[in-house]
Amino acid sequence: MLSLSAEATNTDVDLQLINGNTGGDGGVLHGSELLAFSEAIATRNSDTLAPTRQALLERAGNDSMVDAAAVAGNFQRMVRIADSTGIPVDGMMGTLSAPIAEELNLRRFGSAQNTPQMSALKKLVNIPKRLLVTSLMRITGSR
Amino acid sequence: MHFQYAGSPYINREDLKQSYREYWAMLARPGNWWNGEQRVAIAAESRNANSCDYCARRKKALSPYNFSGEHNHHGQLPAATIDAIHRIITDQSRITQAWIKDNASQGFSEEQYVELLGIVVTVFSIDEFNRALDLSPEPLPQPQPGEPDQYRPTEAQHGTGFVAMLPVKGLSPQNADLWPQGRSANVLRAISLVPDAVRGWTTVSEGQYLSFNQIMAPTADTNRALNRMQIETVAGRVSSINECFY
Repeated sequence: MLSLSAEATNTDVDLQLINGNTGGDGGVLHGSELLAFSEAIATRNSDTLAPTRQALLERAGNDSMVDAAAVAGNFQRMVRIADSTGIPVDGMMGTLSAPIAEELNLRRFGSAQNTPQMSALKKLVNIPKRLLVTSLMRITGSR
Repeated sequence: MHFQYAGSPYINREDLKQSYREYWAMLARPGNWWNGEQRVAIAAESRNANSCDYCARRKKALSPYNFSGEHNHHGQLPAATIDAIHRIITDQSRITQAWIKDNASQGFSEEQYVELLGIVVTVFSIDEFNRALDLSPEPLPQPQPGEPDQYRPTEAQHGTGFVAMLPVKGLSPQNADLWPQGRSANVLRAISLVPDAVRGWTTVSEGQYLSFNQIMAPTADTNRALNRMQIETVAGRVSSINECFY
């Protein structure tokens, strides 16, 4: 969704920040503090949680920190639903996310086995589909 | 009243508190396959998983299915139920369809598993929010009396993941509210064998993240302090650390 959001809003974002491979903000406002706080939550690192929370609070403010904690809580849940029920990525979402999954090497995750690999022909056909869907999202969002 | 967060100077979002309160009220009531007391016991047991020695040792084992021992637990639930709760929290990526079927053959049904899963993950997401802000877990609600009605939607079908799910099209009138504007996603369908489990977690999800319609409109206003790009950065990084392909 980060990739789609970036495309739909014409924002230049370094998607490698998802893998923790960026040194800075990655093109996202307060990105480095958000990443550090997210990592502390997801890794359950009690040594880093308090300092990263404080850094985000000082840089982005109280309400942003609370929003970030809420989003992190939500995505601690999502992976458990997906893995505990063995669901594959949906058809349309798979179409949209396939190039990104490849770029970020997400098939290294064990849960990728629930989603079949896309053929080369399908990847090619998906390029115009992706452009169409992101354009539609841009129009829908601007209403 | 629950979720007042009176001791926290941070939390100003009433919509978030309200979504948690609504879920707590649902949690306390009898479900389709567990009564209120059992549902609250499942929630309580989920809080033991991350400090369970057995789970920590099993997580390091090559296979979790050839490993014996006993969980740290409250003792209020059957062993297979406790194991499922702990596995969903600490080792979910190694859950298999065969394990779910094996449990079902021994009396822990697919429907019970799905309702339990909905409780565990939703309570966990709220507990994780509190932990992120250095707040104690919210006290659990008082269970409400009554028995589960054993409702199984007739339109549920196997074929997408490990458990039966509702289709995107062809919902019965009583479940027609589940998919916004007739659209769905597998992560929504995943626990739809128990429709109220979907209603419960989407209530919380709309508070913590975004509504389904907002998700599908990346340029729309989020009504949050974080913009959409920031929200997706947190979502993406947490998912990546959790090795979530979905």
